[in-house]
Amino acid sequence: MAGFLLKRFALAIFVMIVVTLVVSFAIRMTGDPALMLAQGSGSVTEEDLVRIREGLGLNQSFAAQYFAFLKGLLTFDFGRSFLGGTPVSLLIASALPATLGLAFASLAVSIVISIPLGIAAAVHRGRWPDQAIRILSLVGLSFPNFWLATMLVLLFAIVVNWLPPSGMEGWQSFVMPAATMGIILTATNVRLVRTAMLDILGSQFIMVTRAKGLSERVVLYKHALRNCAIPLITYFGLQFGGLLGGIVVVERVFNWPGMGTLAFDAIGARDYPVLQAVICVLSLLIVLVNLAVDIAYGLIDPRIRTE
Amino acid sequence: MKRQTMQSVLMAATIASGLLVGVPAFAAGTLTVSSPQDPGSWDPIDTFLINWASVSTNIYDGLTYRGPDMKLVPALATKWEELDDGKRIRFTLRKGVTFHDGEPFDADAVKFTFDRLLGDEGKKGPQRANYSVIDKVEVISPDVVDFHLSAPDPVLLTKLAGYGAMIVPPKYITEKGDDYFNAHPVGTGPFKFVSYEPKIGIKLEAYPQHWGGAPKLDKLEYRFIAEPATAVAELQAGRVDIVIPPTIPVGMLPTIAGDAKLKVVSVAGPGVDALRFNPKSGITKDERVRRALIMAVDRDTIIKTILAGQAEPIASFQGARSFGYDPSMKPLPFDPKQAKALLKEAGVKPGATVQIDVRGNDATMIEVAQAVSAYLGAVGVTATIKTYETNVLLNDIIPAGKTGEMFQQKWGGWTFDYDNTAYAMYHTGQKWNPYDSDPKLDAMLESQRSITDRAKREQILQQIAHYVADRVLEMPLYNSNAIYGVNKRVKNFEPAPDNRMRLSGVSVE
Repeated sequence: MAGFLLKRFALAIFVMIVVTLVVSFAIRMTGDPALMLAQGSGSVTEEDLVRIREGLGLNQSFAAQYFAFLKGLLTFDFGRSFLGGTPVSLLIASALPATLGLAFASLAVSIVISIPLGIAAAVHRGRWPDQAIRILSLVGLSFPNFWLATMLVLLFAIVVNWLPPSGMEGWQSFVMPAATMGIILTATNVRLVRTAMLDILGSQFIMVTRAKGLSERVVLYKHALRNCAIPLITYFGLQFGGLLGGIVVVERVFNWPGMGTLAFDAIGARDYPVLQAVICVLSLLIVLVNLAVDIAYGLIDPRIRTE
Repeated sequence: MKRQTMQSVLMAATIASGLLVGVPAFAAGTLTVSSPQDPGSWDPIDTFLINWASVSTNIYDGLTYRGPDMKLVPALATKWEELDDGKRIRFTLRKGVTFHDGEPFDADAVKFTFDRLLGDEGKKGPQRANYSVIDKVEVISPDVVDFHLSAPDPVLLTKLAGYGAMIVPPKYITEKGDDYFNAHPVGTGPFKFVSYEPKIGIKLEAYPQHWGGAPKLDKLEYRFIAEPATAVAELQAGRVDIVIPPTIPVGMLPTIAGDAKLKVVSVAGPGVDALRFNPKSGITKDERVRRALIMAVDRDTIIKTILAGQAEPIASFQGARSFGYDPSMKPLPFDPKQAKALLKEAGVKPGATVQIDVRGNDATMIEVAQAVSAYLGAVGVTATIKTYETNVLLNDIIPAGKTGEMFQQKWGGWTFDYDNTAYAMYHTGQKWNPYDSDPKLDAMLESQRSITDRAKREQILQQIAHYVADRVLEMPLYNSNAIYGVNKRVKNFEPAPDNRMRLSGVSVE
């Protein structure tokens, strides 16, 4: 186990270096943060830009800047935002919990909806509930998330005024963004649960449980579902990465003070330190989730544990 | 029975909605503003973002003040006089003013502010360049200071009304340090700082001891909302009272107009749009062709339709409020016949092409460019539109001279002084003037920079505008309005053209 963890850890570091290197390099090709800062002042002279670049440390070579960033990482010092000089670690510290909270809420929404629906579809395979669920899931898949978000806001925040249209203030604030992400995830998850269930329901041990006279509920939820767990957990884990990517749009629409908003603003302003830190933290997170998935296998399936 | 069930469902829903929304969104006297950007620091020397100013105008005072009427009036300085041919300005300071932390305001605070701006702290910020004409500030007595200038600066008094010239508290900054001050601003303005959450919002409360009288609001809160649809949804939900520019695009105006609780308030802002010509390559090398392209486009119709009337036509790269604007100067008329004749004269064959480069995030401009392209098509010129990410267009495509035949220029400074844009647009060697070099134009641009005689300077600026129009360097499009979405419960709100809105006179029902 220790060897396995060590290997995973090395992999995580490798992934982070590659990702931050690519991102840091790429964003520096596309624009000058000094100009973004100075733009409002009307006529900007090259001297002003030189002076501002010097202040931001942008006059150094790319390699020097990148190594300074890596060095900072070792001490959890992500530097300061080009925009106003706020320490980046402060920004991350408030944005990360917001994003994680939303991501887990979305995943929870999706799991709570997709498992019963997926099971129902599998049990009634080929009959109308199955067809209805499959059509619904196709519809769900076809929604762009920003559209769904806008419709939810229109309905629940403006027409009936039950929920706040944006911001992160209380549990009410979570409802719409989590539903937006959750519904779109559900569309794929339902299909996944259905397929996994169909596989299991055809196997002999299910026949045995039924022959034993166990109730359908126990057969489905205790025996069948548990045996679907491995593919499902793998998939939900992988999904988490995609979720963090998709959250950028949803965060923007709901003005959610999370990593997506941070990244969005940082790209617009060419705020390199913030962008590098966000990418770094997110990639670390994805690696960690995958690691957690691997560990979870062992907890769920005793056969893997003993190997 | 059925009816009863329906009623109880409705009732339950009503109760549920009451519970969900909870207490009314506003306490008495609180105004909530949606601003599209968090400047990240409230220190005057750190940013030049207009949305810094839309908050900070309430926290700080300058020596001078310029409100929505654009008149320069005394603020922390009660009077001033120009000495030594404009190379020294003597300010008499207001007495009895204190900062929000109790520290007294005096000549030392003024000196501290400018020493800081022009010294090491200000060095890496974007603000310093605008005040670099100030050599030093000399304290004459506790309520008199002299500004020594390296050259007369006709726009300095305006610049002292905003941004980097906001007076800051010396003792507080020295004791607490720069970092603390960034996130906990203290000034002498009508509202004092309460709390700031990065990327979420900033809260202020009334400072009743303000020299201009106590504000009518108890609390003033700003939320940072970048997405226009979200800001408007918050406005419709009654959780935000004012959505300030630049947020609301023209396309969303019907949504606000259709809501009985809301209204649109707009005023001509500093921003002007033009399509600059590339005089080095393509058919736009020929001045006649450039003139023809302008005459081919019905700019008034574009303003009426695409911009929903929220803009004014322009004849030069400035709006009517700009110093240097000549009201007698008229845009070239829309005359496709004349345009065709000019094109023919210049030997341009039907089917000749131009490329229009625009900022990709500017939805309005993309629509405008499409209309321009259609109008050009009508006189036999095929226009293609190329969108670039703003930063790429400004940093690479324009400075490197890699544009198409036409490219978007969108500028405007809060000082509303034509020099601000004209110099950057037309002087040889300027970053966004990659193609043109005209010694005569350079001389005119330079000459007005040190003249403090307003009338004379205005005359030169007007000459520059005429000269540029005669050489047909650009297709002037329009001066767009600064658009505010406002809840009708807000009283006495006057939109600031430059977004520097002081809300001390505003009240809420």
